[in-house]
Amino acid sequence: MIVRVRDLVKRYGDILALDHLSFSIEEGEIFGLLGPNGSGKTTAINCILSLLKYDKGEIEIFGQPMRPDAYDIKRNIGIVMQNVAVYNELTVYQNIDYFCGLYVKDKNTRKKLVDEAVEFTGLGEYIRFYPKKLSGGLLRRLNIACGIAHKPKLIILDEPTVAVDPQSRNRILEGILELNRHGATIIYTSHYMDEVERICSRIMIIDRGREIATGTSDELKAMISLGEKITVESYSITEAQISAIRELHGITSVEYKDNKLIIKSEKGTNNLETVLDFIRKENIHFGRIYSEMPTLNDVFLEITGKELRD
Amino acid sequence: MFIHVFAYRMKILLHHRETIFWTMFFPLILATFFNMALSNLGSTEKFSPIDIAVVDNEQYRQNANLRLTLAEVSEGDDRLFNLSVVSAEEADKMLKNNKIDGYIVAERPIKLVVNKSGLNQSIIKSFADNYMHTVSATENILARDPSKIQNHISSIEDRVNYIRDVSSSGAEPNTVLAYFYSLLAMACLYGGFIGVREISDIQADISPVAARVNIAPVHKLKTFLYSSMASVTIHIAEMMILLAYLIFVLKVDFGTKTALVLLTTVIGSIAGFSFGSFISAVTKKSEGFKVAVLLSITMACCFLAGMMSQDVKYIILKNAPALLYVNPANLLTDAFFSLYYYDTYTKFLTNITILTGFIVVFCTVTYLIIRRRKYASI
Amino acid sequence: MQVFKLCLMIIYKNKATLLIYIVIFMVVSSFMSSVSAKEMEDSTSFKPVKTEVAFFSDEDTPLINGFREELADVANFVDIPDETVALQDALYYREVSCIIRVPEGFTKKFMNGENVQLEKISIPNSTKNVHIDLFIDKYFNTARLYVQNMEGITQQELVRYLKKDLSETVSTEMVEDEKKTSDMASAKYSLNFFAYPLLSVIIMGMGTLMLIFNDRDLKMRNNCSPVSSTSISMQFVLGNLVFTFLSWLIMLIICLAMNFRNIFSPNTVFHIAGSFVFAFCCSGISFFIGNLTNSHEAVTAAANVASLGLSFISGVFVPQELIGSSVLKAASFTPTYWYVRANNTIADLTVFSYEALKPVLNDFLIIIGFGLAFFSASLAIRKAKTND
Repeated sequence: MIVRVRDLVKRYGDILALDHLSFSIEEGEIFGLLGPNGSGKTTAINCILSLLKYDKGEIEIFGQPMRPDAYDIKRNIGIVMQNVAVYNELTVYQNIDYFCGLYVKDKNTRKKLVDEAVEFTGLGEYIRFYPKKLSGGLLRRLNIACGIAHKPKLIILDEPTVAVDPQSRNRILEGILELNRHGATIIYTSHYMDEVERICSRIMIIDRGREIATGTSDELKAMISLGEKITVESYSITEAQISAIRELHGITSVEYKDNKLIIKSEKGTNNLETVLDFIRKENIHFGRIYSEMPTLNDVFLEITGKELRD
Repeated sequence: MFIHVFAYRMKILLHHRETIFWTMFFPLILATFFNMALSNLGSTEKFSPIDIAVVDNEQYRQNANLRLTLAEVSEGDDRLFNLSVVSAEEADKMLKNNKIDGYIVAERPIKLVVNKSGLNQSIIKSFADNYMHTVSATENILARDPSKIQNHISSIEDRVNYIRDVSSSGAEPNTVLAYFYSLLAMACLYGGFIGVREISDIQADISPVAARVNIAPVHKLKTFLYSSMASVTIHIAEMMILLAYLIFVLKVDFGTKTALVLLTTVIGSIAGFSFGSFISAVTKKSEGFKVAVLLSITMACCFLAGMMSQDVKYIILKNAPALLYVNPANLLTDAFFSLYYYDTYTKFLTNITILTGFIVVFCTVTYLIIRRRKYASI
Repeated sequence: MQVFKLCLMIIYKNKATLLIYIVIFMVVSSFMSSVSAKEMEDSTSFKPVKTEVAFFSDEDTPLINGFREELADVANFVDIPDETVALQDALYYREVSCIIRVPEGFTKKFMNGENVQLEKISIPNSTKNVHIDLFIDKYFNTARLYVQNMEGITQQELVRYLKKDLSETVSTEMVEDEKKTSDMASAKYSLNFFAYPLLSVIIMGMGTLMLIFNDRDLKMRNNCSPVSSTSISMQFVLGNLVFTFLSWLIMLIICLAMNFRNIFSPNTVFHIAGSFVFAFCCSGISFFIGNLTNSHEAVTAAANVASLGLSFISGVFVPQELIGSSVLKAASFTPTYWYVRANNTIADLTVFSYEALKPVLNDFLIIIGFGLAFFSASLAIRKAKTND
């Protein structure tokens, strides 16, 4: 057990930021915390790190209770903050070296670690640059390098890809997987469900400080009744035809809006062929037709009644 | 760990152009301006002759004595007056157009016409008064023994200086120096800029960097102490440069107790730093806000300590003397001045003791606030 | 007129900050100018003000007693213990502005015609002491005439003669109401001081405004629009002038309110004109600085250095008469010098003929010249920058 959070409660005045949150993370996991903006992800992370006071609850890391002066625990944690936290007055290399030096005393070991972190984040060309000269993506990478240079066992990444170009984002996500392959346990928070789906071995969805659901991506999707979703782009579908589709086997709902016909099916049924047959039979002209499996957004939508994004 | 944090803190601060500007270059520039504006206040500038007129009437023409005396002081390179002899109407016109500072009418007693009261007018009056006293004395003397006339005229000519300026302790109560001392006090208090930064970089609820420092496996106060030492070192070094500039380039007299002047500067620097830390710790807003608060308080303190005008200080002295002892800028200024001016150490010690008291209070409050390890909100 | 309108909007948005600057500067300014005006009145006033003096005599003779009695005309005697620390304190805290000591044997030597001197410890550079110095000099020099030319004169006789001589003074006549001139003096100092807040506020305010506009991306967007860069620059200058005018007006009203006694004198009209011309010049300076700086920190630094520097060397804080001639020569390359000079001349005006006003108008033209020079230099810089 790397992290265990029990019954965590945090209030900001009248607002309940964390509502009896409990979870635990096993060694080697990439644990995703997914939720919309303001759902309490960062608050939870700050509580785990003992930066924030909380009203109730217990937090253990590596089997020990977490406290501000639990230096043996802290030595093995790496954190990548949501905001870029580097000194503008130090170069890329100096920044990494400074933060690494707070964890590792031996100079030679440190030099090796810093060099590895530079290589790992691909900042080799930029080590003499000052942060102000770096682009957004590079700055994020520096932020990550500062957090992981000391090779921690537990790495916490709080929305590391916000405002990052797709290329840098890919690189960051690949990097996280690699860190994990080298044995680090990872907590990853994001409001991008595709990222979370792509890298996390286990996901907890939270909203308004409450746990909504926890499990692997497949487990989460299995929790909801929704199955396949078929979309037909067409101009000319009549009310009668819509009613007829609704009568087909295994269809739960049909909607026609903005020249898009969305057909939702029950879990476990496969209706694409049935729908195609029907369209052909009715001689309906269509532009495109495609079928999607449910996403985490659908999971979130079904449980909370609102979209994950915005 | 100490060397690691200390060395990096130095690098960080030396690279922060804004801080270096305000804590070092600004005082240096201001000192130069002070020097330009005030350097002349002490020495007597070459006197420029005053434009006067004398009304050309019957009495003037008959009064050979007055004519001679006026002619004498209106000749040569070091003359007192530029004299014009004109009619009464012309003199009046000249006065109205500011061509002359005043004109003399030879009556008994002599009449002086001016259009305002100022330094030049006072000089004219003083000259005329003097002339009349001499005339009166001459009449008295000649009335008793007219044969003395020759001897008497030579007596008039060799004026004797009856005042010897002495100094009680070798140091003059030179007010110009006080301007420079309060400037140095201001520079010391500007160490607060560095103090503000130091607190911002350790309080996780102010800056993300501080959050990162907070989760490192090093005691927060240890990191703070080490990096504060780097900050104070840098600021003391800056103050030494400023002090050297004041003493060796601008030739500001700091008296003979050099070791104590250095000590006072160091204490001032620490006071400034702790003051900034204190302000930063008790205000809960952004760094910009903290700096604004610090700057306004510091400037107000310097203003009240007489940096812009020494008279401000004496007004306070008369009306609310207690205010002088709760003003760190004034305590520092007075400490420097006492070292320069007094033979005894009573005043110096009073100022330094109160200042040290302030440092203790600032540090204690700062400690009580930043020892907190967990924050209510970030 | 989009750019111009935007200027106004930004000014309006930042009104709180700008008002704070204005208020702070005006409070400090008014305090400063009232203090220095009072100081100047005291030191140059025609009727000598009595000066606080500590008088110690190591001997008790008719001559010294007579002297002490006469000295009371220009001095208030203050009793302080004759101890080093007490004396130092008294000087330091300005309880007295000088200490006079008659050394043992002074009278005897003086009556024998030997050279003797009184000891004086004083606050240097205090203009108040001038009157004391003059008096002592006068008293003993006149006394010397008697000693040298009336053999066997007794101390009592000498004192009696001197008393009579010193009572002879010139009669003075003021062609102007003295009250008015002293009011004018205080108006002069507060108007000279006015240069400092004017410079500070305008540079600071414009600097902030220009920062927004000179933002690289925004500038590129502006340059892409179908408006010529000259037009943009001109609209900008216009915005700048409007801002300057508003700040000048607000500060002028405060400034006049504090010197309301003079408000109806014709001198005030010229003072207002002078400050207006100077405000125009400040506008040019601010435009110039705004085009050279690219961060908020740089603007703050430049505003402080420029306003304090220009004010210090050209007689805004310290009267021009007291500044060294070499510094003043350097200062004549700054507009503040001419502004202060014009102000001083205006304050002394009693008639307003063309002849009397000529030097003032001349100074105004020089200030306007400075303003135009700054504006054209900045426009040239802008042009050069867009071509990069």
